[in-house]
Amino acid sequence: MNYFVGIDIGSTAIKVALVNQDSQLVGVHVTDSGSLFHKNAKAALQTLLDKHSLQREQVKYLIATGYGRKLFKEADDSISEITANAIGAHETGKAHGGVRTIINIGGQDSKAIQIDDQGTVTNFAMNDKCAAGTGRFLDVAAANLDIDLEQLGEYHFNGTGAPLTINSTCTVFAESEIIGLLANGHGKEEIVAGIHYSIAKRTLRLVKRVGIEDRIYFDGGPALNKGLVAALQDELQRELVVPEHPQTTTAFGAAILARGEWLADQSADGDGRERLDSRRGLSAEKGAQVVVVAAPKKLTADCD
Amino acid sequence: MTPTVTPASTDVSPDTPAFNRSRQAREAEVMLDHLVDDFSENPVAMQYFYDLFRKVYIQGEQVQRTTGPQVGMTCIQAPEELIYAVGATPIRLCNGSYHYDQIGADFMPAKSCSLVKATLGRLHDQEKGVPRIGKLDMIVNPSTCDQKKKAGVMMEDMGYPVHDLEFPNVKESEASRVYWQRSVRDFAVRLQQLTGKKITRKKLNAAMARTRRAQIAFRALHNLRRKAPSLVLGKDIFLVTNAYFFDDLERWTVATEALVEELKQRDADGFNAAQKKAPRILFTGSPPIFPNLKLPLLIEEAGGVVVADETCSANRMLYDMPVVDEWMVNHMIDSLADHYLKPCTCPIFTRNDDRRRRLIDLARDFNADGVVYQAFSGCQVYEMEQRSVAKTLNDVGIPMLYIETDYSPDDMGQLTTRIEAFLESIKARKRQARAKGVSA
Repeated sequence: MNYFVGIDIGSTAIKVALVNQDSQLVGVHVTDSGSLFHKNAKAALQTLLDKHSLQREQVKYLIATGYGRKLFKEADDSISEITANAIGAHETGKAHGGVRTIINIGGQDSKAIQIDDQGTVTNFAMNDKCAAGTGRFLDVAAANLDIDLEQLGEYHFNGTGAPLTINSTCTVFAESEIIGLLANGHGKEEIVAGIHYSIAKRTLRLVKRVGIEDRIYFDGGPALNKGLVAALQDELQRELVVPEHPQTTTAFGAAILARGEWLADQSADGDGRERLDSRRGLSAEKGAQVVVVAAPKKLTADCD
Repeated sequence: MTPTVTPASTDVSPDTPAFNRSRQAREAEVMLDHLVDDFSENPVAMQYFYDLFRKVYIQGEQVQRTTGPQVGMTCIQAPEELIYAVGATPIRLCNGSYHYDQIGADFMPAKSCSLVKATLGRLHDQEKGVPRIGKLDMIVNPSTCDQKKKAGVMMEDMGYPVHDLEFPNVKESEASRVYWQRSVRDFAVRLQQLTGKKITRKKLNAAMARTRRAQIAFRALHNLRRKAPSLVLGKDIFLVTNAYFFDDLERWTVATEALVEELKQRDADGFNAAQKKAPRILFTGSPPIFPNLKLPLLIEEAGGVVVADETCSANRMLYDMPVVDEWMVNHMIDSLADHYLKPCTCPIFTRNDDRRRRLIDLARDFNADGVVYQAFSGCQVYEMEQRSVAKTLNDVGIPMLYIETDYSPDDMGQLTTRIEAFLESIKARKRQARAKGVSA
């Protein structure tokens, strides 16, 4: 069996996805980026291969994406995380009737991507220089409140009062705001909810720039936070599709593309149509099975 | 893989001047090295321009130009033909250096346009500022955008003689046309006072012939970029047009003509300056000025090719030529005035439908696959026109990438991601279109 790998080297975490020849997701692995991107990426890949008792030679094609993509020389090719995310979300979203809008909140940036029914990017927007309202913001806020990042979702729903208003999504200014609210005796639950709504409002502005079209797919590490998902659904007034492993959609997209590239290389003398389809991660025969990975049962937030 | 042996660097001459270590020079050197070394098969004729920028921006040499009074321009809307006609030399002061942008922040709010701040920052140190141009006998400041208007007053405070060239913010009306013609005549009078030389029909005719020759060279260069595959990369064209800011007019024209000849030869040889499927990009918005060529550089490093532009540091500066009906001095000056008003597509105008039309024309004529729109943070008019331009382009099926940036290099990683994603989406679109064509 041949295997294909997509490796997403982000600012905060390294995500590796492994797919087989039928585009089925075999496994994923997530680890911290740390300061040694390259070393950690290699180790992450090895861990995933070991877990599935695979040899490096069985991986026929590897595509790197994310901020560290250019530094990972072991990759056969690299692709921007926007394209990879679109492919991953398109594949995963098929089980939900197809997605057209993707919201991705990462460690240091947030993106809104619009795709067509083929999974091709038609428009996208990214936060500019400022990293306000990204995953790092949640990190800092959790530290300020002295709670674990994983608990944020829980706190969101446990509040008895209305969410407080956090006016600033700037990590630095919000920090002083949070400290001020704590000093005034407000509950952590209401503050957490306020933080989530403040991120959601900012994200809404970003999504509006590309246009909102159903269905909306939400991925990236912060999508694991149920509270944030709820706040975003409230602001958007729509249901979100949240995959089981929101962190690895982009790596999965890169792996799907890796498979396509390898197949295209194999049938280099095939006609254009075949190449196109294989690139998009579909097999040449129409109606071939497309295995959707990590599909949640419901359309609502379903993270663990 | 066989290990490659890298020879120790030998090109550092022992007499590299100490100036080379200044912040401004380092910035210029990093950019120029990227522009030259990151690409193979640069045109031979580009060597003149590479050397020019190395000498002027990195080694800090005095710009070699004909002697005579020097008139600095803060914008392309000042008729340079009039400056040549009185025996003076124009020099465009618009600056692209982040180093000067930071100095300029002492004079303007930090959130204002990088270009205006850098221009002020450069003028703050008249003697050692780069490019070194010597004494400025006058600065002409067309009252185009708000920030430049105010910057002109600050230049006066720095001790420069400044002439405000009043510029209308509507171009369709007859009233503004007449107003502008009078404004240009006033400028002519001021220039005559400066040098003590009268503008005669003969002198103006000669001056117009000089700039016309430069424009003809530019047009030839511009039109060669229609060719697919591409004969030359956009980063080189921006260097050529940037050199026009400060280089000697005739020397620039000869060097550009040489480049045109080389490109014609490339065309005959079937040369391709980019990958076969490189997305063709039309560049618009805030002007790239050396050393801030980061956006064109990133586009071409990511595998795109800039085939045309609609900016005031290149196409808008040199493309349109004055048309004279009556060869009498006053009529000639009026025709010049018209030439500087009517074709201008600067976003400071109240209505600017011309810009959208021009972009669509350029995209069609140059077979562009997409448009990259740069707006310097703080340039409100470019920021505001972004939506209407995007809509116009999208309506005819041309995708546009809007990028708000400034002179600081710290967003280059993020910009790379956005540009690569844009180019990838263009390629995917083209693949889809081809597949449709096959199945149809």
